Amino acid sequence: MRLLAAASLCIAAAGAVASRAAPPGTASPVAASAMPTGDAARGRQIFAPCRTCHYPEKGYGHHNGPSLFAIFGRRAGTQQGFPYYSEALKRSNLVWTPELLNAWLANPTTFIPGTDMVFVAIPGAQDRADLIAYLAQFHDP
Amino acid sequence: MGERATSPARRKFLRAGTLAAAAAAFSGAPHAPAAEPRRWDDEADLLVMGSGGAGVSAALEARSRGAEVRVYEMLPIPGGSSCLSGGVCYMGGGTPLQKALGFEDSREDMYRFMVAASGRYAALAKIEVYCNESLAHFDWLVANGVKYAQRFSPEKELSHEAASLYFCGNERAYPYRDIARPAPRGHVPPAKNQTGGRSLMQSLLASLQQHGVQVITGASCERLVLASDGTVLGVEVRDARGMRAVRARKGVVLAAGGFIHNPQMLKQHAPELFACSPHWGRAGDLGIGIRMGMSIGANVLHMRQGFAVLPLYPPENVLKGVVVNLRGQRCVSEDSYYGVVGHELLFNQGGRGYLIVDRASDYAAPDYRLVVAAEAPSIAALEARLALPQQSLQQTVAYYNRYAERGEDPLLRKAHDYLAPLSAPPFKAYDLSIEQAFYAVHTFGGLETTVNAEVLNVEGEVIPGLYAAGRTSAGIPVAPYYASGLSIGDSTFFGRRAAMHAVARRA
Repeated sequence: MRLLAAASLCIAAAGAVASRAAPPGTASPVAASAMPTGDAARGRQIFAPCRTCHYPEKGYGHHNGPSLFAIFGRRAGTQQGFPYYSEALKRSNLVWTPELLNAWLANPTTFIPGTDMVFVAIPGAQDRADLIAYLAQFHDP
Repeated sequence: MGERATSPARRKFLRAGTLAAAAAAFSGAPHAPAAEPRRWDDEADLLVMGSGGAGVSAALEARSRGAEVRVYEMLPIPGGSSCLSGGVCYMGGGTPLQKALGFEDSREDMYRFMVAASGRYAALAKIEVYCNESLAHFDWLVANGVKYAQRFSPEKELSHEAASLYFCGNERAYPYRDIARPAPRGHVPPAKNQTGGRSLMQSLLASLQQHGVQVITGASCERLVLASDGTVLGVEVRDARGMRAVRARKGVVLAAGGFIHNPQMLKQHAPELFACSPHWGRAGDLGIGIRMGMSIGANVLHMRQGFAVLPLYPPENVLKGVVVNLRGQRCVSEDSYYGVVGHELLFNQGGRGYLIVDRASDYAAPDYRLVVAAEAPSIAALEARLALPQQSLQQTVAYYNRYAERGEDPLLRKAHDYLAPLSAPPFKAYDLSIEQAFYAVHTFGGLETTVNAEVLNVEGEVIPGLYAAGRTSAGIPVAPYYASGLSIGDSTFFGRRAAMHAVARRA
């Protein structure tokens, strides 16, 4: 319950609507007001450290962390073939949106306490937007 | 050794250490040493800071010798950067796996290769003990549950999920293939998508648990506790309850990783690595262990050096292309281990260069690692588009092609399998600049240690009670990084050495 409360707080802080899935590759009106416009080409390099654990490409599969192919609109902690989700993430009942990811990347330790995704925060709002724009490119047409 | 040294230099150091401790306590510097507390909150034989390959190996070795151990991990989960690594351990000299798969190796060949490839930075004494004890280390890993499959992979990068042995480094590249008989020495638990590190650490952590040791997560070691004579007595650990002073009866092992995620330290010591992306390692690689050592007068080595992997392969067909600098000249044999290629461009070519390919040596599909800088129907046109000096790339490719047709490479001696003339348009140049290409980097610099992982001060004397292993120490890995598995191999091996020495120490 502590977890859910924390997650809700983060969602509120990010100005996002909980569990509302954005269509892949499109930014919601909320995102436009809360996040700068992302540059996907720049995002390729911002995303590079994430490749320690994640592939966004279709068909590359899971790595230390789950695949990020077509991540937006997907329910957190539910991908087939990845048995390593933390209980915290499995129980989070979140659907990934650019806004949620933005909140997580800015607040690694408080967004979902207990998750196994331990990483260095990305403090720059533009950097996060670029990363998210890069990730949003990876989905089926 | 050295523990009872009372040379004038040592006395001077001890005075300096005490003064430093007092000054630091006064200044409140975060990792400065603390004085002995009136009361200890806890005690054990060995205190281990960090739960990556080095820390867990130290704890296992100490526990198997009957010592009481505490392992502190600042992050909420154990495993360190080792857990995110490929999990390759560099071992040889005729391991059971090498033998079972029909490969001959000797510790002499392993030693010759490692010394030659380490160049002027070779840690000779460490390499010697590492090679001499490699078979025992293999047995130790297996005894602690690490699983290897009886299958060899011929690929340069371990992409085969069911294989456990491969040529993981520069053994077959010039000049090393002529210096020592090449052998596959990359030992890795079979795993998909290079997640062997998770498998390796799962095994070691499970073994640690079976040995009755639970990693204490969310507990950050912040200060060494120092006696007035300079001996390390314990650590101050911060956890949810606050700061606690823990006494070490035998020793403290700093196994807290490198400093790739500490931007200030990285900019200061290794600006070349700082300029690269991605910085490779788990979030705990903050240099805290190194700074705790430095703050009591420990010496550091190789602080500018690191792992700088530019993964051009797989696929290996691209290695038939040529890597050129901004003068249009080849500067490193393209079939070299990708850490050697990355190092050459980063440190010797200003972080700039191109991979020139033709249709046959091109990637099959666009790849996240590299972007195309230019494409042209001829090498002359490509040279113009890249604004390289006139005729430079044309001469390079003409010379390369002339000999490649005969399967020769007099300039850099690239292996026969990767030689082919570049003749089928379109020609492409991939941008190998650090701004555009994927350079995975982490640090090699750290505390100077003996073959028993004892930390040395700036006078070259042992600091009693203090050990360091893995990337908190300056170990076997030096730049250029010449084989996968040297860092994990060094970490697990010298983590154990630290424990062996500490447990036998008369404190």
